[in-house]
Amino acid sequence: MRPMSLYQHFKAKGYDFFVGVPCSYLADFIGELQADPEMTYIPAVREDVALAIAVGAYMAGRKPLVYLQSSGLGHLVNPITSLLKPYGISIHLLISLRRQPFEHFEMYRIARELLELLEYDDVTLVEEPLCGE
Amino acid sequence: MRRIEAIRQIMAQVTDELVIATTGMISRELYVVRDRPENFYMCGSMGCALPIGLGLALCTDRRVIVLDGDGAALMSLGSLVLSRYLALPNLVHYILDNGTYASTGDQPTCSRSVDFEALGHNVKVIRVEPGNEPGIPRIPYNPREMLQRFMQAIGRRSERGTAVGERSRQE
Repeated sequence: MRPMSLYQHFKAKGYDFFVGVPCSYLADFIGELQADPEMTYIPAVREDVALAIAVGAYMAGRKPLVYLQSSGLGHLVNPITSLLKPYGISIHLLISLRRQPFEHFEMYRIARELLELLEYDDVTLVEEPLCGE
Repeated sequence: MRRIEAIRQIMAQVTDELVIATTGMISRELYVVRDRPENFYMCGSMGCALPIGLGLALCTDRRVIVLDGDGAALMSLGSLVLSRYLALPNLVHYILDNGTYASTGDQPTCSRSVDFEALGHNVKVIRVEPGNEPGIPRIPYNPREMLQRFMQAIGRRSERGTAVGERSRQE
């Protein structure tokens, strides 16, 4: 039996609205999303914009998921601290943890601690070996 | 025109629209002009009012009004382009442009160098005077309770339609 794809895994868990900023490690996930006739593909311009769109979907009763690569995690510090936390909203984040090339390394190094510091645990982290290249 | 007068004129036309107001004095003046469960006062996360409105307009059949300022629109200018790309018929984006960050003391923005209406979708720019109304209170609601009130207001009307809001109320 073929293992369930990451995208099918989240759909099976009830997520019904997906928005984010692409990562090559999540290319299969995003490809399945684009091919899904039940979904609208939204080319969000930045991670904070994707998260705010997801908040709008949440308000309308949907169960949204935001995908991003770790390099964009910094853009979420503001909406997590001043939108999600004060209003008591939790949006699931699917984050590909990128070690390389070199420009990714510093965020890779601190990403887990940053999420801990933010006390934000509604997260799935996908490491490089799992998502392949 | 004073900013609060522009908000009065917009709200005088509003019936059952969902209104997302940007952070700072625009939310606070909206609260004074016409508080209602269909208003979401976004305190914080400057620049996020439009993308929240996009998410809402994508997921409901309700009409959505975003009340933005020029500083907030400039902070997330890419959102205007995304809005133009999505071209949602049920979204209107007002930008109350006073050329300043009025909430923080009228420091200038660069709004005179941008054509918001050409960048975005259903954008209506209203030029207003800098400065804030005196004696405008802070919004007294607990943010979580205000959000619940807003989501219940969406759910009430949506029951006959696409049943959006059902899940959030059951959970």
